[in-house]
Amino acid sequence: MLLAYRAALASPRVTASAVEATEFPTLADAMDVYAVPKIVIDGVPRYEGAVPERVFFQRLAAALVEVS
Amino acid sequence: MRVSLFRADEEQSVRELFARLEREVELVLVHGPEETPLPGARDIDFGGEAERLLHALADLGEHVSMRVTDQLEHEVERHPAVVVLADGEDTGIRYYGLPWGYELASVVGAVIEAGKVEPTLSPESLQVLDGLERDVRIDVFVTPT
Repeated sequence: MLLAYRAALASPRVTASAVEATEFPTLADAMDVYAVPKIVIDGVPRYEGAVPERVFFQRLAAALVEVS
Repeated sequence: MRVSLFRADEEQSVRELFARLEREVELVLVHGPEETPLPGARDIDFGGEAERLLHALADLGEHVSMRVTDQLEHEVERHPAVVVLADGEDTGIRYYGLPWGYELASVVGAVIEAGKVEPTLSPESLQVLDGLERDVRIDVFVTPT
């Protein structure tokens, strides 16, 4: 979570949200949340688990290239 | 009523961390137009609990404050939402739901990070962010333990 927050702080283009899965079960189901933390980028579920900074940003960059 | 969020030693650690904030951090709790309990959920007033939690956190640092609003002055996608401001500016950090238990550490972490003037990311990470050509939304689903 901290990495996502740091990304939001470092860039005006990034919004980082923690979403409490048990309080928003419909949304969690829609995002296939079976394990946490589950990272969703621009509404697309991507991966689960905490990863190191380098991996987090590699995956973020990859997700953005994929969509555009 | 003062809520005790942490053990005495943990609380002291949080106070010390909050004392080092370099910016004024405000936690804005945005209530929704209707916040209904989940069917079958415990009879908990999520909005009220969130307010108490944030008040208790704000008590732990003179550079930390909290405010409650129903007005959607900040973009939020669902309720209840906590918006983190640093020196009055929206940081882009949101917490949706009630930060129970372990997840309270997320909010504490958000305050500490928002209180820093310099980003703590590596140059490589900052480069990825500098290269962004559009807005990005990162949602991290979490659960309390």
